[in-house]
Amino acid sequence: MLSIPGRMARLCDGYTRREFLRVGGATLFGLSLPQFFSLQAKASPAAPFAGSKGYGAAKSVILLFLQGGPSHLDIWDPKPDAPSNIRGEFKAIKASVDGIQLSETMPLLAKQADKYTLIRSMSYTPVGLFNHTAAIYQMLTGFPPDKVSPSGQLEPPSPHDFPTAGSQVAKLKPLDDPMLPFVEMPRPLQESSVIGKGGAAGFLGKAYDPYRLYQDPNKPIDLGDLALRSDVSPERLRDRFYLLKGINGSMPDLEKAVSSFALDEYYQRAYNLLLSGKARNAFDLEQEKPEVREKYGRTTFGQGALLARRLVEAGTRFVQLNWPAVANGDPTVDAWDTHAANFGPLKNLHCPILDRTLSALLEDMSERGLLKDTFVVVVGEFGRSPRLGVSTSGNTNAPDGRDHWPYCYTALVAGGGIRAGEVYGKSDETGSSPKENPVHPTDLLATIYYALGIDPSQMVLNDFNQPRELVKGTPLVKLFG
Amino acid sequence: MTHRIRSSHWSRRLGILGTAAPLILAAMAFATEDTNPAVTSEPKLLAEYEVTEIRLIPSQVVFSDASEYRKVLVVGKTGRSSEIDLTRTAKFTPAADCVRFDEQGYLFPVKDCETRVAVAANGLTAQLPVTVRGLAKPREVSFVRDVEPIMNKVGCSAGTCHGAAKGKNGFKLSLRGYDPEFDYDRLIHDVSGRRFNRADPARSLLLLKPTAQVPHGGGLRFDTDSQYYKTILEWLSEGVPFGDARAAEVARLEVTPSDILMPKPGLSQQIVVVAHYSDGAARDVTREASYTSNAPSVAEVMQDGLLTSGRKGEAALLVRYEGNFVTVPTTILSETPGFKWVELPQYNYIDEAVDRKLRKLRILPSPLSTDAEFIRRVSLDLIGVPPTPEEVEAFLRDKTPPRQKRARLVDQLIARHEYVDHWSLKWGDLLKSNRKFLGQKGMWRFRDWIRQSVAENKPYNQFVYELITARGSTYDNPAANYFLIADQPNTQMETTTQLFLGVRFMCAHCHDHPFEQWTNKQYFELSAFFAQVGIRDGARSLEKVVYDKNDGEITFPKTGRVALAHFPYLQPAHFTTDEARRRLLAEWLTSKDNPYFAKACVNRMWSYFFSRGIIDPVDDIRSSNPPINPELLAALTKDLISHNFDLRYLLRMIVNSRTYQLSTRTNNWNADDENNFSHALPRRLTAEELMDSISIATGSRMVFKDVPKDYLAEELPDPKVGMGGFLDLFGRPQRESPCECERRSEVSLKQALNLINGPAVGDAVADPDGRIAKLIMAGAPDRKIVEELYLATLDRPPSAEEARKAQEYLAGSKNRADRAQDIEWALLNSYAFLFNR
Repeated sequence: MLSIPGRMARLCDGYTRREFLRVGGATLFGLSLPQFFSLQAKASPAAPFAGSKGYGAAKSVILLFLQGGPSHLDIWDPKPDAPSNIRGEFKAIKASVDGIQLSETMPLLAKQADKYTLIRSMSYTPVGLFNHTAAIYQMLTGFPPDKVSPSGQLEPPSPHDFPTAGSQVAKLKPLDDPMLPFVEMPRPLQESSVIGKGGAAGFLGKAYDPYRLYQDPNKPIDLGDLALRSDVSPERLRDRFYLLKGINGSMPDLEKAVSSFALDEYYQRAYNLLLSGKARNAFDLEQEKPEVREKYGRTTFGQGALLARRLVEAGTRFVQLNWPAVANGDPTVDAWDTHAANFGPLKNLHCPILDRTLSALLEDMSERGLLKDTFVVVVGEFGRSPRLGVSTSGNTNAPDGRDHWPYCYTALVAGGGIRAGEVYGKSDETGSSPKENPVHPTDLLATIYYALGIDPSQMVLNDFNQPRELVKGTPLVKLFG
Repeated sequence: MTHRIRSSHWSRRLGILGTAAPLILAAMAFATEDTNPAVTSEPKLLAEYEVTEIRLIPSQVVFSDASEYRKVLVVGKTGRSSEIDLTRTAKFTPAADCVRFDEQGYLFPVKDCETRVAVAANGLTAQLPVTVRGLAKPREVSFVRDVEPIMNKVGCSAGTCHGAAKGKNGFKLSLRGYDPEFDYDRLIHDVSGRRFNRADPARSLLLLKPTAQVPHGGGLRFDTDSQYYKTILEWLSEGVPFGDARAAEVARLEVTPSDILMPKPGLSQQIVVVAHYSDGAARDVTREASYTSNAPSVAEVMQDGLLTSGRKGEAALLVRYEGNFVTVPTTILSETPGFKWVELPQYNYIDEAVDRKLRKLRILPSPLSTDAEFIRRVSLDLIGVPPTPEEVEAFLRDKTPPRQKRARLVDQLIARHEYVDHWSLKWGDLLKSNRKFLGQKGMWRFRDWIRQSVAENKPYNQFVYELITARGSTYDNPAANYFLIADQPNTQMETTTQLFLGVRFMCAHCHDHPFEQWTNKQYFELSAFFAQVGIRDGARSLEKVVYDKNDGEITFPKTGRVALAHFPYLQPAHFTTDEARRRLLAEWLTSKDNPYFAKACVNRMWSYFFSRGIIDPVDDIRSSNPPINPELLAALTKDLISHNFDLRYLLRMIVNSRTYQLSTRTNNWNADDENNFSHALPRRLTAEELMDSISIATGSRMVFKDVPKDYLAEELPDPKVGMGGFLDLFGRPQRESPCECERRSEVSLKQALNLINGPAVGDAVADPDGRIAKLIMAGAPDRKIVEELYLATLDRPPSAEEARKAQEYLAGSKNRADRAQDIEWALLNSYAFLFNR
């Protein structure tokens, strides 16, 4: 917690934010970095959330990121009483917890309703463009993309970008064990030719980028260079590193000149990974019983979720499983971006995969006792327009299509110390707007950090050593307990 | 319903932001009272300066219009031969109450008079004569001069609001007001005139919405007691005159100061913007202008034109008002006690321009690189491969003075066949020579044409001319492949302008370029030069024939009218598009007078040697992205033009400069400079350089299917070869885009794993036909092995200490081959190998 000395630090209310602004402002006016830290040290000794309900209950996070923007009305938040041009073609079904309904597209998940909580009041107003990349960036970094791209154009990832959540976690909650702290699979975030925006460590430096396993886990995984070469024993690798250290050490000027590439950090991490073998093991899905693999579904997404579970078991802090389709890809093939053909593909292609995989994951994790300290989040970059066939983003939409809709959508959260079998927040009669407890994407990020015991109100330093808010959101403390 | 909740949710967030500014000021005041004496506020910083003289800008003020205001700058001349802005700490006291200052410090007329304002700052005083006359005279408030600028300033016409392509909530304005007629029409005639209530102007939506008297998705934009409100109300009451668009056209902006140099971070500078209109009128528009900084961490600028410096460095401020732009270069120095400029020898005009800038910034360049560093760097940069051990040894032995010796090496390298490989690779990347677009045969033919052009050192303007005018079979005249890498008139135009002018015209596809002079109209007029390019199938498989059709036009999507081919600048006096349009275009494009053509080329070439362009990114040249060293860029441009676009001449000039030959080792004064070429910046070897360097170091070559066995990585024809392998892992461009950014130079965990444990290094050091195996088989002594491995990998002999350690390791086991491999592995994984330094 940061505050100006002499002032009492306060908990998560608007006041806290003002304290940041003070420090931000003061820095602007000539407070140097050491001074910044000394202020930080002088500030209240305990983390503001320490001892608060559920704070730090989770050790790991699994984020199933449904890029493309799935239709909340046709999955999580059915509106059976709405007019047909909003309700759509699907019926609502009762879930296993009284009073909760899901769309009929989620029959298996409906039976697991005691294992998760639905946040039906996700909402934000886009700043800048109304496209996938901007929304993904907002969702995963917590900042609108115009802060890094003043021209408002779609830009490729830049080293000055705000860090994606997994990178923040990897940095703020480092692993003790030699394991991959942050794994992203099975394909990058992508809209058209913009690849990976919002999915990188940005100003934290590339050392905190995810380990990118861009492969189909439903096929044999190529471990590639994670498997130690047969002609190099662990002792020999150690000798080689010893020599390498000596050679680099004899050129200290060069060492300094290349330090921004963070090569040393990568080498250390790679070395530990190779020697421990933990990551190799985790990637070996052959070790799972065929029934288990079947249960998750023999699909890219299904086996990816199973792999996510194995990685968490092996100690990975943050696993991000992206929906395996380009965000603005073809909805009739694999994408959630249903500007046209909202119903057929959802019913026959996308939802059966999501339903099967997610219900298997929750059940499996619960049985293994992993759910209590793993925070599972399922969300896309936005929902879809309640009204069929209208244009809300400037895209054209077929009569059976739904456009982008960030103003109201749903996130599913489970495990990691939160209560299950509940619905948090409410959408209005048409799923257009939150009726109570609106949750901004930054609040969801703050909740993830909170669950991991990372103070969401803290500042982080960017590549120019300027303090920046970790996230400008408030954790949903009410979810926990 | 939806609407209300949405906006309240958002306003909760806006509220947070809204409190920022006063709190920052509070923190500033608080910081000064803090126990920590090092924390200083701006007033305190300013008080430290001994000011010998103050002057006012403007030196006198004349008001003739009640809606006018003036921002008065107080400039203090300090003993340190620089000036500081005292506006915020100065005290202004009008001698009479016929003028007044508002709380933001703007001077307003109240009634007619002649008076003075006394100004006091840092113990000095000055007088500002003020004349107010004709205030009672009625004046016309017009849409173009008064109302449109307000709508732009408060954000109505922003891209996120009503300026969006489809408008917002049924109300559409042109983006940032680039089309006043359109906007006027929307305001007055749309929604049956509800936006403008003739009977009761104050009930017009145009006022009710932005003042949030009725629900407004964009929230409150201004208050009912603001000057903006008064102006718009007045305009509505007067019957909404459009005004004289030509007279109200802003002819130029006068921005003061035009160039900012601050002695240290923490200081601020008020900017004053005066618009000069076509009819000769001038008006202070400081509050209505928009400001953006390209480096907010260096200099941040508030929307009232107050710039605050954050850290040492340079920034470009873009000031915009009604379609006019001015860029204000800003330099923030830091105090550099003990700094002393040391004159280094200047080899050519490059060094003169670079030194002038460094001296101004108080940055001391690094010393020259060593001969061993130089031969490695210049070999990689000119021919894409490092020198062999023999070449290094010969160069180090040569006793010729360094400057001559280096120049001679440069000439030798330029004559090598790898020079052709290296530069053909770069052109192949940019021109997207890829079988995906060209077919396999077309790709090989295009590659041959590029190589031939590089080999004969075809003048750059001719090279481009041949591409733009190419016609015929893509097999017989391979330059015609250019029209396959982008096959629509507008994408051909975008590719051409990005590649050869460094200008990104695509922003103007949907609307006027927001940060440049390029307009939506020009986009289509320029595309029209490609409208009659025809492409048909040839007789042979995948062969295409490019020809000129006699028809084909581009139409404006909004109006459906035909766009006449027209150049955006430098229009030739006589031209008719009855001639082949492409020839006209090629002549215009490659003309010596085209201000972008040669500049874009030298800038791009420069970037290959210095990690960054003089304008960076190299293919995004615009006024809001100014050159870091304009003098340098101008000199290089002029030189290239006067040497007939001879690229070898240009490259020679660059690598023979002292600037290029500097070391990566930094000193106290240039350690944090990454922009001004005061020292070499290490660059990670490119994918191809890395692979070829490993081959040369280890004597073990990676072989690819479908290409001759002895091909270097830099000779590979396109990304299909070796796809998904080592080269792609290290960022080889996929040749899908003409953007220089397609080549990636970052490092990743996967790359580290590959270098440590993958086959590229692991197999190469253990190759039974490789360098190590040969040395061992020949029974080479330990000393010889170590020396050769160092020379072959790091391009220098080992130091005595390095040699001793390595020999000790080598002798530590019976298996010398294994040990030698370990040493070679370590050398290949060292910074000294992985970077061009």
